[in-house]
Amino acid sequence: MKAIILAANRSSRLSPFIETRCKPMIRIAGQYILENTICYLKEAGIHDIILVVNHQQELIRQFFGSGQELGMNLEYVVQEELQGIGHALSLCRSFLDKKPFLLVYGDVLTDYNPFLPILQTYTEMDREVALIALPESSKEFGNVYLDHEMKISRLIEKPEANQANYVFAGLYVLFPKIFDLLKEHQNDISRCYEQMIETSGLQACLWEKGWVDMIHPWHILGANRMLMSSWKMAEIDNSAKLLGHVHLEGSVRIGANVTIESGTILKGPCYIGSNSYVGNNALIRNYSAIGPDSIVGYGSELKNCVLFGKNDIGRLSFVGDSVMGEGASSGPGLITVNHTVDYTPVTCESDSGSVETGLVKLGAFVGDNVAIGARHVLGPGAILKHGRIIPDSTTIC
Amino acid sequence: MCGISGIVHSENIGRNLFNSIRNLEYRGYDSCGIAMLRQGTIDLRKNIGGIDDVNSKEQLDQMQGRIGIAHTRWATHGGVTQENAHPHLSTNRKFAVVHNGIISNYKELRESLQSKGVIFDSLTDTEVFVNLLEESFADCNDLEQSFLAALQQIEGSFSIVMLSAHDPEHLYCVKQESPLLLGLGEGCNYVGSDLNAFLEYTRQAIVLDDGEYVVLGQDDYQIRQVQTRDTIGKSVLNIDWDVETSKKGGYSHYMLKEIFDEPQTIRQAMKIPAGQISGIAEMFVNAPRSYLIGVGTTYYVASISQYYFSILADCFYPSLSSDEFTVVKIESGDMAFAFSQSGETYDTKTALEYAKDHGAQTAAVVNVMGSAISMMVDQVIMQGSGPEICVVSTKAALAQTFIMIRVALELGLMQTRISRKEYEKHQLDLEEFPEMVKKVLNEQSGFVRNIARATSHVENWLFLGCGVYYPVAMESALKMKEVTYQHAEGMPAGFLKHGTLSMVEPALHSLFFVPPPEEKELHDRTLIAMEQVKTRGGTAIALMFQGDKRAHAVVDQSIELPPVSILLAPLMQMIVAQMFSYYAALELGRNIDKPRNLAKSVTVG
Repeated sequence: MKAIILAANRSSRLSPFIETRCKPMIRIAGQYILENTICYLKEAGIHDIILVVNHQQELIRQFFGSGQELGMNLEYVVQEELQGIGHALSLCRSFLDKKPFLLVYGDVLTDYNPFLPILQTYTEMDREVALIALPESSKEFGNVYLDHEMKISRLIEKPEANQANYVFAGLYVLFPKIFDLLKEHQNDISRCYEQMIETSGLQACLWEKGWVDMIHPWHILGANRMLMSSWKMAEIDNSAKLLGHVHLEGSVRIGANVTIESGTILKGPCYIGSNSYVGNNALIRNYSAIGPDSIVGYGSELKNCVLFGKNDIGRLSFVGDSVMGEGASSGPGLITVNHTVDYTPVTCESDSGSVETGLVKLGAFVGDNVAIGARHVLGPGAILKHGRIIPDSTTIC
Repeated sequence: MCGISGIVHSENIGRNLFNSIRNLEYRGYDSCGIAMLRQGTIDLRKNIGGIDDVNSKEQLDQMQGRIGIAHTRWATHGGVTQENAHPHLSTNRKFAVVHNGIISNYKELRESLQSKGVIFDSLTDTEVFVNLLEESFADCNDLEQSFLAALQQIEGSFSIVMLSAHDPEHLYCVKQESPLLLGLGEGCNYVGSDLNAFLEYTRQAIVLDDGEYVVLGQDDYQIRQVQTRDTIGKSVLNIDWDVETSKKGGYSHYMLKEIFDEPQTIRQAMKIPAGQISGIAEMFVNAPRSYLIGVGTTYYVASISQYYFSILADCFYPSLSSDEFTVVKIESGDMAFAFSQSGETYDTKTALEYAKDHGAQTAAVVNVMGSAISMMVDQVIMQGSGPEICVVSTKAALAQTFIMIRVALELGLMQTRISRKEYEKHQLDLEEFPEMVKKVLNEQSGFVRNIARATSHVENWLFLGCGVYYPVAMESALKMKEVTYQHAEGMPAGFLKHGTLSMVEPALHSLFFVPPPEEKELHDRTLIAMEQVKTRGGTAIALMFQGDKRAHAVVDQSIELPPVSILLAPLMQMIVAQMFSYYAALELGRNIDKPRNLAKSVTVG
C-alpha cells in the first residue's frame, strides 16, 4: 500500500513559526512531525510515500531526500497553488496504482502508531476507513456521527458551538474511486466524504490515545508534552559528556556530543539535542525540549518549553511555557513571565486579533533567528516575529 | 453478523475447525455448525445455541476429516432453528455451503428450482445456492465451472465457501461485498470471514477483493476473477496484530462498542412481539405476590423496574438480590421474575430453583439463547441484544430495563392505571428513544470524557438520585466500581443527611442524577441534597437536562443532556453514566473489558 502525505499547506495561525517552515517540519520533542509520521509508516510496513509539498518545501527535500537513508521510497508532488486538500489529493492520481491507499494529513501528531489500527480496521471491514479522535473541543474540526457498527452516518463540517463530538483525525484508507468523486465535486473533499457516507459507507477507527492537530503556537507545547509523556525510559548517547556532578531523574534523553557542566539538574521527561552545551548549575525541568546545537548558559532554568535548535540562552535566564524558533538567541538574564499577576488565562495578540488561550500558564513565542539582547522580560503570551533584533536593555551607556 | 471458516489440511482438523469458529463466536452465537468430508461423504452437524452448547449436543470437536467448513450465526432476521443454521447441504448431499451476506434474488431462484422438483429444508437463501450448484454440476460435471455457473445466477452481497464430495482436495470460495480472507499455513490453508478464524494457526494472510474466487488446496491456491477467470497475483500480508483488538471493529474496547450498540439494542427490544410482553404482564396480574430478582447489575435492573411498575401500573413488586432470595417465604402461585444476561448466573438459577420448588411461577428476560435460565423458566423473553463481551454489562442491562418499561406499560393499561392515550404517547416515546440515544452518544461524548478525565483521580464518590433515579444511581455506582476500581456509593439523595453527610469535604465528589425540572417533586428533593453537599464544601457534579437553570446555579460541573421524555430520562442518564465510568477507567489505564477479579457470567456459588 502507498501513502500520500499532505505537507503543502501554510497554516497562518501558527505564526511566528510558520513563516519559515511548513507545519510538518516543526520539531516536537526532538523530532520533526513528518519524521515521526514516516517512522510510524515504516513500522506499519508502508515504504512508498508520495509527499505533496509547496510552502517551504526545500526543508523537507533537504532533510528527507529520496528517503533512501530511512529505507523508504519518497516521491514529491508540488501543489503549485494551495487550493485545498481535494486538489492536493487529485494531483497524486498518476502516482498510484489502482489500489487502496493511505491519506495522511502531514500536520497530525500522535503519541503511538495510528497506522496499525487503521490498517487493521481496513483489513477487517474491507471498506474505506477514517481515523477519528475525541478532542476537548470539536469546533475546529469536521465532526462525525457514528452508528452502532462504527460506520460514519453523518458529517458536520462546522458544528454549533456546544458540541463535543468525534472528529476526523486526518488519517484515511481510501479507494481509487475517490478520484472520480473529486472530479464530480470539483475537488471538494468534504462532499466526497459525504457521498461516500451516503453510498458505500465510511468506516471509523477510533483513536483514544494522544492526538494533536496544532492550530495555534501554544499547541506546540501540548504536543511536546504528549510525546514526552509516552517516553518510558532514559536514553543517553555514549558520546555525551556529563562533567562532575550532574543530577538526572526520570526519562531524560541526551543526544550525541552533548556536554553538560557540573551542578546541573535534569528532571525528565526532557530532551537535549545533539551537540548542545548546558552550562554549570542549570535547571532543566520536565517537558523541556532543547533542539540540537544549542547553548544554555550558567544558572538558567528551563521548564515546559520547546527550543527548535541552534538556540543560545544567556546565563541566568528563565524560559518557561514558551517556544523559541530555530536560531533564536538571548543575552544574559532573559525572563519569560509565564502567568498573569492574578492568574487569569492568558490572551495572545496574533495577526488575526486577540485569542483566548484558556491557559493560565503561558510564556512567549519567539520566531526563528530573533536576537534578544541582555536583560529582557517577555510578558505572558508575547509573540516575536522571526528575524527581529532587540538591543540590550542597557541602563548605563 | 456471521462468521465463516474453512480449512484444508494434511491431517485431521476436527479440533482446529471447532477452535476457529469458537474464535469467531464474538460475531454471534445463536447457532453454529460444521460440515466435513470423510470417506467421500459429507458429515454435517449443526444446532442452535452457543458454540460450547452445540458442541455438547453434537460433539463438533470430535469430527474427523482433513477438509471442512464451519459457520457461526447471529440471526438478524429469520428464525433461529436447526434447519436455518449453516452449513447447508444440497439435496444429494454432495455439496455443503457456508455463506455470509444476502442473495437478493433468491426468491425467484427458489421458485424456479421448486418448479423443477427441488425440496427445501430451510427458508434461507443459502440453500438456494447450494442447490444451484447441484443443478449446474449435473449439467457440466466440472466443479469449478459449476461453481461459476451458480455464481452467475445470484445477485447481492455475499462471501461463500463450498465443500464438495466431488473434490476432496479443495474448497471453493468467493467474495462479493462481504469480507473473506485466506490464511496460508504449512501443509494447510485456511479461509475465514475475518482474521480470527485462523490467527491461532497462521499469520500469513491474503485479503480477497470483490469479484474474486479461490480454489483452495492444502498446498496451493488459485485466485481468479469471476468474470474473466484471469489468475490474479496477490501479496501476502504478515499479520502482526493481536487477536483481541481485531474483534472490536474500530473500537478500542468492547465496553465502548457495546455502549454504541445501545440504539440498536433498544430497537431489537422494541421488536419483541407485543404478545410476549402482555403474556408476562398477565403473569404479574395473576400472581398473588411477585418478586423481581437479579444479582449485581441485574439486581439494579430489577430495582429500576420496581419503580417503573409502581409509576406506570401502581403495582409494587419487591426487588431482591438473587443470593438473598431465600428470605422470601414463597408460596404456590407466586411469581419470581428474573434478569440474567448470560442465563447461567448461579445465584439467580438457584433462586429460581428455590421458587420452582415452592410451586411458584417463573419468568425471565435473558440474552443468551439456549442458556440454563432460558430453558428452566415458564416464560422467557429473549432480549436479542447481541453478544456482550465486556465483563461490565451495559447494553444488556439497558435493554432489560427498556423491556420492563414495556411490560409495566402493558400492565398499566391492563389495570387501567394509564389511559389508552397515555399508553400510545409512551409507545411513541419508546420508538423515538434510539435516535435520541444516538444523538447523545455522539454529541456529548467529548463533554463526558472531559469531566471524567478531570475527575479520574477522585477515589471516593457518592452517586445520588431520588425516585427511580435512585436505583439508576446505584447501578451507575456499580459500573464505576467495576471498571475504575474507585469507590462509589449509590444512595437516595434524601438519605444523605441521615449520616453520610459527615463524610462530605472537597475531595469527596458527588454525582447527582438530576431529573428534568418537570418532575418537580423529585427535582426539588435532588436540589436540596445538592445544596447540602455544596454548603458543606463538597464537590457536586450533575447529570442534568439542558435548560435546568436552578441546578446549573448550584453545581461545580455538569453534563447537560438534550431534553427527553420523562419516562425515559432515567435510562438516558444510565447510558451517560456508563460513558462516564468508561472514560474514567480509560484515563486510569484500567483493564476495561476484563476488570481485575471479575468474570462475565458468574456460574459458581
